[in-house]
Amino acid sequence: MDVSNILADHAEKTNSTQLQVETDNPLDVDAGFLTVTDPNPIDVESYDSSLESHLLSIARTGTQALFNSLFSLPTTSSPDGPLAQLPAPTTQLPRAKPLPKPKPLTKWEQFAKAKGIQGKSKEKRMKKVWDEEKQEWVNRWGKDGKNRQIEDQWITEVPMNADIDFDPKKAARDERQARVAKNTKQHEANVARAQKAGTSASSSNTEREAHKKELDRTLAMSRTSTASMGKFDRKLDGEKKMKGIKRKFNATEGSVSAEAKASLEVLSKMNSDARKKSAGEAKDPEASILNVRKAVRFASKGRGGIALGRERAKGAGARKGGRR
Amino acid sequence: MLRTVKPKNARSKRVLDAREPKEVEDARIAIFVKGTKTGEVLNGVMKDMMALKRPDAISFSKKNVIHPLDAQNTASASSSTSSLEFWSSKNDASMFVIGQTSKKRPNDLTFVRMYDGKVLDIVEVGVENYVSMESIPGTKSTPGHKPLMHFASELFDTHPRFIQLKSMLMSLFNGEAVESIYLKGLEHVISVSLAPTPATLNTASASTESTTPLPKVHIRTYATRLLASGSRIPRVELTLMGPSMDLVLRRHTNPDPELLKQSMKRPKLKKTDIEKGLGKKRKNLDVDEMGNLRGRVHVGKQDLSKLQTRKMKGLKAGAFEDEHGDDAGDDDGDSDQEVTTKRQKLH
Repeated sequence: MDVSNILADHAEKTNSTQLQVETDNPLDVDAGFLTVTDPNPIDVESYDSSLESHLLSIARTGTQALFNSLFSLPTTSSPDGPLAQLPAPTTQLPRAKPLPKPKPLTKWEQFAKAKGIQGKSKEKRMKKVWDEEKQEWVNRWGKDGKNRQIEDQWITEVPMNADIDFDPKKAARDERQARVAKNTKQHEANVARAQKAGTSASSSNTEREAHKKELDRTLAMSRTSTASMGKFDRKLDGEKKMKGIKRKFNATEGSVSAEAKASLEVLSKMNSDARKKSAGEAKDPEASILNVRKAVRFASKGRGGIALGRERAKGAGARKGGRR
Repeated sequence: MLRTVKPKNARSKRVLDAREPKEVEDARIAIFVKGTKTGEVLNGVMKDMMALKRPDAISFSKKNVIHPLDAQNTASASSSTSSLEFWSSKNDASMFVIGQTSKKRPNDLTFVRMYDGKVLDIVEVGVENYVSMESIPGTKSTPGHKPLMHFASELFDTHPRFIQLKSMLMSLFNGEAVESIYLKGLEHVISVSLAPTPATLNTASASTESTTPLPKVHIRTYATRLLASGSRIPRVELTLMGPSMDLVLRRHTNPDPELLKQSMKRPKLKKTDIEKGLGKKRKNLDVDEMGNLRGRVHVGKQDLSKLQTRKMKGLKAGAFEDEHGDDAGDDDGDSDQEVTTKRQKLH
């Protein structure tokens, strides 16, 4: 059986001349922006003979090329039909707005990042919580919020040893309001810190300052660059007198002990590697984040580092004794 | 400059948040502004352009005294860029189409592109041979459907004025990067082609550039019809949908290089995107016809001499001497000689 005829027929159908785009230069298709650019020069003859049909034919050629590339893109299915996955655009168009700035980290986020703590993020923490008694989801805060449950319920347990005028609702409310106040304070501190960091880090401002300094120095140098070092130059109106550096000298006669002390200080500075040490400390990122005093206070439960050390030593001794 | 407003309720906060800069931007919102005098032609042009641009189009129906290209010359006109900036911030719009007709410049259409609330660049064109959308019978495109764009001429890649025009028109109609699209929804194509390139422009030199007239721009809008072709890719037929117009390039301003540099900044590629193959060139990876990702791994040449084959007693290194040479324990020189001689015998 000879199927070559059938195959040839089919091939002719699929490769019909209508689908193929034949141009001297290949068309530049930017599928991401659904745009095609035809880099071939315009044919003068066809342009002059009939404008509209010429425009239609080149538009059809270009559109066909664009559709050829669009229909060969990978697709995903959706309820409305297949969607073609467009590649990233190749044409560079200017943006309408600058790139979004990264949000400054809060103090807690900084700390968590430095320590590698992965808690639930603000987005992941759900707005609703499960209420066991009601058997439904309730708001964490806001209308009928879980944080106001004790204040809102009609009967509340009072501890046995409570004062006579103890109001459990008021106590719960005070506690909640204290939490809110604390959060507000922390939020404000975070905002202030972010603002401070933003102003100091803004490069244009510091650049400007540096430029100003540079200009001042150049001006000062040029003013003293004449034969008389600027002494007999014509002064302009309102020109300020140049400020030189005032050299200060110590008194030639002083106390012997002070002199000895100063010399010894220089010597000790030369010997020690204090400068290296301080540089190393500054580099350590944790130093700025971790409040050491606070951490010690927390670990020793407010009794200080010495007490903590003593306790440790005692504990180790006790253990040793136990083994024996 | 507007005061920075603090939102008073959740709804206005949502609106303001939506206006914040985004990594992948939405389509530019365009404001269509009428100048002091607009003729019938320009009214029609702006109406039809709005029909193509909808829903990201805002119409200013009242007349405005606005001359953005005269900003350098007169003091009164310098306020027109500031009013553009004001409108831009009020409406969250980053594109303007200004129509104005005068004796000196009849049917003048000005495209203004903004970046960060400041004017980036301006292109001024004159409209000729306008045919409205209404006057051409047939189905029109649905508002909100993305147009295809077609540019035809080598000047769109070489001549700075036409590169700018192409960029401007793409920003106006097609500047939104979308991830996926429903192909049957592509209903119309905006075709921008030029008159034949004059010979003086082919031998491009800066001095002649200003004197020679630039070729006309023909904008035609066609509706597409997809016909079955027997394969997956359909055959495309085009019918004129309108509007059609010819444009003559007039004045323009180039973008401030510093501002342009800022506006061309791209977001850093995410890790997932790089894995997908964007940005860096992927080496030794390709996708085969079935859509499988194929990798090619290069390993060093394997040392087959150390390959462990089946263990046999006879193949052990010292086996031969143990069996035959009782004098293996003697001084080294002799034993070596013996081994070599024995091997010779074996061969």
